[in-house]
Formats: sequence, structure tokens, C-alpha cells
Amino acid sequence: MWMVNLRVTSNARRVALVLAVVLILGFLLLPGQLQSVFQGVGGPLGWVISGPLNVVAGVHDRIAGVWGGYVALQGMEEENRQLKRELELLKEQNGQLRESAAATERLATLLDFKKQALPTLIAAQVIGRDTGNWYKTIIVDKGASDGVQPDQGVITPAGVVGRIVKTTASTAVVLLVTDPNNAIAGLIQRTRDEGIVEGTTHGQARLKYIPLLSGARPGDRVVTSGLVEGFPRGLAIGTITRIDKEEEALFQSAELTPEVDPNRIEEVLVIQSSLVPTEKERLSLPRPKP
Amino acid sequence: MKALLYGVIIVGIVPIQSVLLPHLTLWGVKPDLGVVAVCLIGLISGELDGLLVGAAIGWALSLFSAQDALTGAMLKGSLGLAAGLAGRQMVYLSPLVLVVGLLVVSCLVGLVTPFVLRLNAQQDLWWAVWNVVLPQACLDAVIGGAIYWLMWSQFNVEQLMSESRM
Repeated sequence: MWMVNLRVTSNARRVALVLAVVLILGFLLLPGQLQSVFQGVGGPLGWVISGPLNVVAGVHDRIAGVWGGYVALQGMEEENRQLKRELELLKEQNGQLRESAAATERLATLLDFKKQALPTLIAAQVIGRDTGNWYKTIIVDKGASDGVQPDQGVITPAGVVGRIVKTTASTAVVLLVTDPNNAIAGLIQRTRDEGIVEGTTHGQARLKYIPLLSGARPGDRVVTSGLVEGFPRGLAIGTITRIDKEEEALFQSAELTPEVDPNRIEEVLVIQSSLVPTEKERLSLPRPKP
Repeated sequence: MKALLYGVIIVGIVPIQSVLLPHLTLWGVKPDLGVVAVCLIGLISGELDGLLVGAAIGWALSLFSAQDALTGAMLKGSLGLAAGLAGRQMVYLSPLVLVVGLLVVSCLVGLVTPFVLRLNAQQDLWWAVWNVVLPQACLDAVIGGAIYWLMWSQFNVEQLMSESRM
């Protein structure tokens, strides 16, 4: 049953309408300025909210830990056997890599390469996911007070996770490499062809702008090229699963499976940009020996 | 009392939305409790409360998302205002009507959002409708309907609506 309510408080309605008009006009006329005001003033609000957020995330992690530790043990035996096989394989590969590393070190000393300062990493724990459905992000428990800033790269030991887009005092939002709105400069490790890695709507990633003459093929690994701020060169992004070459197109593109599964990340490392060597420093030639 | 309740809702909605709701998804899409809360507050408490609490909820949620803060505040604030104005026109609202209303409103907000956010070209309107807007609207409607049904069966919602607008 629908009826007209005659007890209208006209003052509240007027105030609401005026506020709404101000908000919409601000949005249309001064979006940039208002955006920075909202983000800046949001600091204390973010600080207040991050308390309950950490508490809920802590309780959630404990429950997940109990679940993972006791309930979800079924099927562990088979997984354990498979992991042991993988371990054997990796031990063999590790031995070969150690040999290569030792050889590289000897050669680098011979060439007198300048020692590059390794970037400082901040360890952070994932405490939540994006509050909406439009972006693929994770929330981590380190923020501006810990030295985390927008545009810093985020990684795990396996590879690239994404980039910081927003911070509060004690939390930060990381836009994942699988989000279509993210773009990272990438490099095919085998062919040395560069491109831009962008997320897809299917939760994968795509390397765009690969030269037509490139010999890239499925199975090739894609790493960061170090050409943009936030990521040093050589961090794993993903493996090519398919090459797309359209007729009369100027470039080809490749679909990637990211090295890091964004749905299973629990801890990440934030790269402090200021300490990442610049491209100029990286490319500087070694000084000849006197 | 009312201000305290609103404060708890604004602060509490972020942990629920970002930590707990990712486990309650339909085709990878989670409900937007902000839309549900703002619609209910607007309907029950009127347009001013709807606008202010809506803007605050939108702002708080956007601080923990890649979405920009102003867009979040504006969308949720406008929704609260519209819900308040709609609530003025009715003295009785059954849970079924609310479910249908929420479904429609959530769809409309979902259709506007990709244009306002200026997303990547891959995320076009067709993709948005099938992959985000419709699943989210269904979840919003079900959750909003359940919350309203609980309120409806425990309290005299009509009286609450009339009193809060006096």
C-alpha cells in the first residue's frame, strides 16, 4: 500500500538538496581539487577504520589457520609426495644455478661492475581485498607511517604482485598486476623484447606492443624491464601462454599466466622506490682499470 | 544514539566488506553492503541522513579501494538522498517491494559507476552488466531483503520511519 506522507520536514529536505547540489557541482567543476581534499582529510578516518579492520583480519586469519591446519588436511599425503618430487628437481636446478652464479660473480669482478644497492623491502601482511567489485586490489597492513607510498612496487619471492595506489597511516591498497587498469613495463627474458603488461578481465595478464618480428613463443618468461618507477629490472611477472598476432596490426600481444596467484597471497614485500637504482645508474658503463 | 549507530555502521562496514564478504561471492562478485545500508538508512531516516551517511560510507569504502574517494562519496550520497526522497512517498514498505527496489537501484548505480570511474576499455558496459552489475544487484537485493525482513519482524518499521522524520 503506497500513500503520500504529508509530514514532510521541509528544512531537512532543503538542507539535503543544497548539500547534494554542492557535492555534485564540486564533482563536476573541481574534481581534482576535491579529490585531493577528500583523500587528505580521509587520513584520520582511515586510521580509525584500520583498527577494526586489523582486528577482523586477525580473527579471520586465526580461523583460516585453524581450518588450514586441521580441517583441510585431507589430500595432504599426495601433495606431500608431489612436493618431495619437486624438491628433488629443484635441488638439482639449484646446484646448476649456484655454478652459474659463481661464474657470474667471477666475471663481474673481472669487469669491475659497480655494486648496485639492493632496494629496501618492507614486509607486509595482506589483511583484506578491495571493498568494491570494480578493481582487483588487496589491502596490506603497512601504510604511510611505515614509509609506504603510492607507486611503489609490491612483490613476493615468486614475482610481481602489483603497485601501491593509495595509503592511509597504517594500511595501503595494492592494485594487482591482473587488474586491467594496471600497467607495468615488461621484457621477454629470452628475446629481450619489451612491452607493457596489463591485466585482463579474466584474471590473467597480457603483454602488449611486442614487435612483429619478435620470436616470442608460449613458455617464455616475462620479467620487469625496469623502465618505470617502482620495479627494478628482472622481477618475474608471468609466463606466456598464447601469442596473438592480428593481420595488419603494428604489434603482437601475448597472454600471460602471472607467477603470483593473487587469490592466495598472504604476505608481500613493498619496494621502496627511492632506493631502486635508476635506469641511468643501471646502464652506466664500468670504468676502465688504470 | 543515532549518531553512534551511524558511526558504528560507517566504521564496521569496511572490515566486513573487505575481509568477510570476499568469501560470500557470486561468480567472483561480492555484495555491496554500502548500497544496502545507504538505501535502508535513506528509506527509514530520510534524505538528509541518507545523504550524509551515504557520503560518509562511500568515502570510507573508497579509502580501502582503488576507487577515488570523491566518486564513492558522491555515488553513495546521491543514493541515500534518492532513497530518502522515495521513502517520503510511502508509509508502508513490504520486504518484497524492498527486494525489487534494491535490485533496480543496485543495477542503476552499477550501470553509472563504470562511466564515472572511466575504467579500462576492456571493462565495457556489456562486460560490466554481466560480470558485475547483475550478480551484485542480486546479492544486494537478497541481503537487503533479509536485513529488512529481520527489522520488519522485530520492530514496527512504519512507526520508526514516521518518528525519524518528525
